[in-house]
Amino acid sequence: MTATLPGRPFTVISLLPRLLNTNGDAGNARVLAQRIRWSGHDAQVVDVHSRADLPEQVDAVSIGSGTDAALIPARDALRTLVEELRVWSNSGVPILAVGTGWELLSWGIDLSDGTVLEGLGLVAGQAVPRKTRATDDIIIISKYGRLIGFENHARDYVGAEASPLGRVLYGSGNGTRSSGPQIEGLIMGEVFCTHLHGPVLARNPALADHLLRAAFSRHGLEYARGVRADSADATAQAARNEVAVRLGQNAE
Amino acid sequence: MAVTEPARLSKRGFVTSVRYAPAILLGRAVRVLARWRKPGGGSAIPGVVVNRIAPGFLATTLNGFPLGLVIVTGSSGKSTTTKMLVAVLRAHGLTVFTNQSTANISQGLTSALLERVSLSGQIAGDVAVLEMDEGHGAFIAGSLTPRVVALTNVMVDQIDRFHDSEMVAVLLGKIAARATETVVLNADDRYLTDLGSSLDSTVGVARYGVTAEVLGQYPRGLGYAETAANRLPTGTGLQLTRVVGRDATVEFGADSHSIRLPARGIHYAVDALTALSTAQATLGDGFDPTIACAALSAMPAVFGRGEVVTVGGKTIEFVLVQNPSSFQLNVDSLEDGTEQILVIIGSDVRDPSYFWPVDTSRLDHVLIASGLKAHDIALQLAYDNVRVDCIEPDVPTALDAFLALPDPTSGVKTIIFSADGMRRTRAHLRLVSNAEDPV
Ligand SMILES: [Zn+2]
Repeated sequence: MTATLPGRPFTVISLLPRLLNTNGDAGNARVLAQRIRWSGHDAQVVDVHSRADLPEQVDAVSIGSGTDAALIPARDALRTLVEELRVWSNSGVPILAVGTGWELLSWGIDLSDGTVLEGLGLVAGQAVPRKTRATDDIIIISKYGRLIGFENHARDYVGAEASPLGRVLYGSGNGTRSSGPQIEGLIMGEVFCTHLHGPVLARNPALADHLLRAAFSRHGLEYARGVRADSADATAQAARNEVAVRLGQNAE
Repeated sequence: MAVTEPARLSKRGFVTSVRYAPAILLGRAVRVLARWRKPGGGSAIPGVVVNRIAPGFLATTLNGFPLGLVIVTGSSGKSTTTKMLVAVLRAHGLTVFTNQSTANISQGLTSALLERVSLSGQIAGDVAVLEMDEGHGAFIAGSLTPRVVALTNVMVDQIDRFHDSEMVAVLLGKIAARATETVVLNADDRYLTDLGSSLDSTVGVARYGVTAEVLGQYPRGLGYAETAANRLPTGTGLQLTRVVGRDATVEFGADSHSIRLPARGIHYAVDALTALSTAQATLGDGFDPTIACAALSAMPAVFGRGEVVTVGGKTIEFVLVQNPSSFQLNVDSLEDGTEQILVIIGSDVRDPSYFWPVDTSRLDHVLIASGLKAHDIALQLAYDNVRVDCIEPDVPTALDAFLALPDPTSGVKTIIFSADGMRRTRAHLRLVSNAEDPV
């Protein structure tokens, strides 16, 4: 079957990995590229620090999380890519943004000193300060199954109620709401935003495979999980189960 | 150069006040009681008591050493640096009071001082050398007046506690601001060079750094949150000019000396450089590079930090990873062709993505992944194309299986562990750590 792209590898870009990789979330790009290779296709990760690094074709985008000190330089660098980000999100290129990477795509970030850092306005909602940093395991129920990660954020997120990534079983997620279930993350088309570290795609390959199906279908290709993913995915399941059982949930 | 006798070193005056005598007596009584109730335990309790009834005791005593107080702080390497500095100072004939960093530094120190102090408040010793956490700045702010403060580096290593490098730098700046004579700092760390140029002009700054050639050996850098743009110009501070395995060369202005490090790795070489620079600032003219380098070369390997041990006739090298930077440096400096590797990552690594900035592909083949986070580290290894033969979360089982294997044909059996993995390994193999300096 191996239909492949005309003369080029699948290209996953990792946006600003120098500024946005405090929690290792740039690793999500590595996960996508490896799973593409395991499915029998060529793949490469291109680190994009500025416009000059942009490859001609982009098949998937990963944005990690950084420290608050990096917020302004990261926002300013992302602004120079806002047109591309818009085109990608409108044309179904899967984009995963984690932590502050997600916050920067929003309307804005309310900082604890009362000022607002304007975001790129690509996704609805905004980040608002929370009383204490949320630093713990997090378990959510989503369309892509039970997702387990580690959250580590000093801000909640409001305005994602219309299309969250999932419902919180354990943890803080987007923050406590006055009514309705506690939710986590945001989805807009093939743009996925979340607080889950892990990296989320290594811990939860079902979500990774969803992004890959989206990337493949843009080229009329069908993504099929490679055999080499079997053992990695069994390991991921065991890692998730360790957390789930420790927190009083069932093993998968 | 002649070694200055400690007795002839500048006298800053002993603490002679007797106003703490009742507190000291009470603290000692509590110490006896605490030990009587729980053998070997309760060491911090006398400290609590004394700090409550005589709050000035700790600061007055620490500030009162003839050669003053030296503080070593920074994100990483402070513990090794402190031990190295103490060894160098002792080799110069000084009696050194030192600590092991504890969560409650004030009570722990007070208890340690109580063991040594006479009723008149006098303590035998020439100098105090303290290792301090970034977060201990508040503790020293109003009370301690260190003569020398040494800053190791700013690394993004404790993501739960200190999220930002800026925040770490601010905390270190608070400690550095207490220095009365010299701030010793790593000139390759951008945050520290900035900190150095913002210091009060009444305080001297002693800089140390590696040469461009040494830095060039580490394309991923030395793990600092940000590397300074320029290397230290020759002749403006101690320079590390060469590191090969456990051998390093340090340039002291005109002459250069070689050192045999207690463990392989650039970070130990930089720790040694920090210790030498700090010893020089502390001893002034009394500093002798030959004595200092001999003392460093004679140090035993520190447990879990590149130490090679023999267990049941098998040689094992231990490699402790404390943060992503040290993990990467350790992976990069592993001997080529190391064919038997056991990795133990424990409950101390709460967020498994913490280690993902590390490229582990060079490990190539890991026999066993173990510890509470065994599956998480195995997952990272799998995505880095490292073959993992077996995942065994139970540490004793993994250790027994690993040791039972015949000796490797190349390299030595290598165990890479997090701090929690190290504790479990030490307990299971009944290894005692190298005798730490008694406080
Ligand atoms: Zn975070």
